[in-house]
Amino acid sequence: MAISAPRIYEGTRIPSPVPTIIEVPEELRRSADILEINFGPNHPSMHGVLRLVLQLDGETVVGLKAIIGYLHTGFEKSMEQKTWWKAIPYAPRMDYVSFQANELAFVMAIEKLLGIDVPPKAIWMRTLLAELNRVHSHLVWLGTSALELGAISPFWYAFRERDRVLDLFELVAGARMHTRYFQVGGLAEDIPRGFFPQCREFCEVMPKAVDEYEAMLTENPIWQARTKGVGLLSAADAIALGQSGPVARGSGIDWDLRKAEPYLAYPDVDFDVPVRENGDVYDRYKVHMDEMRESVRIVEQTLEGMPPGPWIADDRKVVLPPREELHTSMESLIHHFKIVTEGFTVPEGEVYVAVESPRGEFGCYLCSDGGPRPWRVRFRAPSFVALQATATCMGQALVADMVAVVGSLDTVMGEVDR
Amino acid sequence: MNSKPLREYGLKSERVLWKGKGPGVFEQEVAALEERLMLTTLERAVAWAQSKSMWPDTFGLACCAIEMMSIVSSRYDIARFGMEAFRASPRQADLLIVSGRVVHKMAEPLRQIYDQMLEPKWVIAMGACASSGGMFNNYTTLQGVDKIVPVDVHVPGCPPRPEALMEGIVRLHEKVQAGVPPAYEIRGVAE
Amino acid sequence: MYESVPGVIETREAHGETTLVVDPARLIEACLHLRDRLDFNFLSDLSSVDYLGWGEEPVAGYWGNATGRDLNAPGTAALPRTPDPKPKRFAVNYHLLRVAPGAGDARRVRVQIWLDDGEAAPSVIQVWPTADWHEREVWDMMGIPFEGHPNLVRILMEDDWEGHPLRKDYPIGGEPVRFSDEV
Repeated sequence: MAISAPRIYEGTRIPSPVPTIIEVPEELRRSADILEINFGPNHPSMHGVLRLVLQLDGETVVGLKAIIGYLHTGFEKSMEQKTWWKAIPYAPRMDYVSFQANELAFVMAIEKLLGIDVPPKAIWMRTLLAELNRVHSHLVWLGTSALELGAISPFWYAFRERDRVLDLFELVAGARMHTRYFQVGGLAEDIPRGFFPQCREFCEVMPKAVDEYEAMLTENPIWQARTKGVGLLSAADAIALGQSGPVARGSGIDWDLRKAEPYLAYPDVDFDVPVRENGDVYDRYKVHMDEMRESVRIVEQTLEGMPPGPWIADDRKVVLPPREELHTSMESLIHHFKIVTEGFTVPEGEVYVAVESPRGEFGCYLCSDGGPRPWRVRFRAPSFVALQATATCMGQALVADMVAVVGSLDTVMGEVDR
Repeated sequence: MNSKPLREYGLKSERVLWKGKGPGVFEQEVAALEERLMLTTLERAVAWAQSKSMWPDTFGLACCAIEMMSIVSSRYDIARFGMEAFRASPRQADLLIVSGRVVHKMAEPLRQIYDQMLEPKWVIAMGACASSGGMFNNYTTLQGVDKIVPVDVHVPGCPPRPEALMEGIVRLHEKVQAGVPPAYEIRGVAE
Repeated sequence: MYESVPGVIETREAHGETTLVVDPARLIEACLHLRDRLDFNFLSDLSSVDYLGWGEEPVAGYWGNATGRDLNAPGTAALPRTPDPKPKRFAVNYHLLRVAPGAGDARRVRVQIWLDDGEAAPSVIQVWPTADWHEREVWDMMGIPFEGHPNLVRILMEDDWEGHPLRKDYPIGGEPVRFSDEV
């Protein structure tokens, strides 16, 4: 394997035979008093509906099994019943914290199958919104993870900035969450005029806010004691377990899809990818904080470099014509009618598109039969894969450490269960 | 008998938006209930106390949970209503805000949590998915959480804005203060 | 570049992606070769597709001319064209990725195997441990068993659920409401 990262521990800690279950060894079961408890699906640490069945020897977790499916909403099957356009609102509700990354992957996959060209303004705006979404996701992560470990104050600080980000989304798209602003071919509507000054203001405020969060947590001895050395994951284990995003970058793997497989406007903006070497919860936290700063940098650059022009492609077989034309042009009327009733058709084929969501590689595998509806939509959710690493990261940790580990893996149950 | 019908306390939510608007259907129904129920002073005091510190239970399931978290945050501060203490244990909670889509696998834990709550207890179905299944009309999603728990207030939206959830909570408070009994006394679960 | 991979029946290129159709009996050989010789150390995704009803008129297909429908050429319409039939009912796709920091080029490949209803696929859990939950999900949703998987139980649905929801002959379910049967 071509990974050169410092060794965090020797060998592999992936349990066997089942990589995702820690089994209690037989002698321990006979000699010690093992308590089996249930953690979830409704529990105070705000991960959503995750259920862990733990076997405890005192406070040490000696057996762990994750049971998911408490939020399985049947997204993939529901999307098969709807036309391409009507299936787009389903996508953001999977990873409901970084909603636009989901929409982005789905819409990009449809555009790849269609072979349609997206105008530059839409590309740059999508980049801007994707990065704002990354900030939003990391803020929610920070607020809730710190809250679980007992650091209650960062929650309020993080959510103060989160509301500012949601204000920006509301200004652009009309809704705070699940904006449904990405359309096949570009954006759903033009960018309103007040957006750029307000976004610039936000970019000035945000780095100082990240400094505040770091002031509360980074040098804090309690935070360091709770997170340093906890939840170790080596680079080789991370690759074997399919980890990507901040979890992989916290373990020393310098891998970011925005740099490795650039999409949107990422080749034209200048940013760094933070990578840390120790593979523990603290390093993942630092990666998240540094990523927030880098995202603000990207947002500033996209604000400066936003090209003018149309916000959606011109292909009338896929994109609705402007309303003024409907009064005068018969073809526009017919196109409008066809697109709204039957829906546009996407040529037959299969395609896999991956974007760097705040949690890692979010992939969309699309199979089209040439008709107006998707034949098969499959979303590769990074949290689904990240949760598999819980057993490996645990080692011989205490219950309180388990909360820190599961929090640092940054899982959103909506995309785990889909 | 009540000395002051509810509409004279001012259902502030609608009043603020539309000056000069008379009582809406909801207010008239609540007023009619008040006449029939004939609350005494002690009951009114108890209802006032219940509504002023109704502690919610952390039952965040999906996207609506994120908006529910934002009412705890400082901009939409729910502490002004005495509700910032989200209890993790249902035994200590009064209000169950079902925020998010409930699937069949989760229905049993939901009902268990509801059963573990002590009376009086209220349920808010937050969002389209909890009220009616939302955009997910399929094999796995419960078409409305009122199939398994009796619901007091449905809050529409996908997700509802924090202000919308606050309006739902405020209306629940008004219901409680008007003497409307919690939902489990009035109706069972939907068929 | 993929000539040396054992068990490849067919290679397809489309939309900039390479798909290697592999004989299911030699899947593990092929995966080990891809992981060890060609450095595809990362299994991105393992998913399955059900092609039941592919090629039947009301289920799939579009109106176009014999070579397909050209989006940008108006007037190309009028002939029903259903897609070409698929070899078997189920396809299992393995999306592989080469994670090599600093190399600058991400390389992806899709390995595809075709199975009939009831046929089992070999489990690649020994090759990439991340396949554990993916294979459980494929078993749960599509009913494709994986030989060699140590813990093949349902993951998303309840343990005693009957049926495999993502199959094309499994109904969408839900309650009938107005406009239910329209798109």
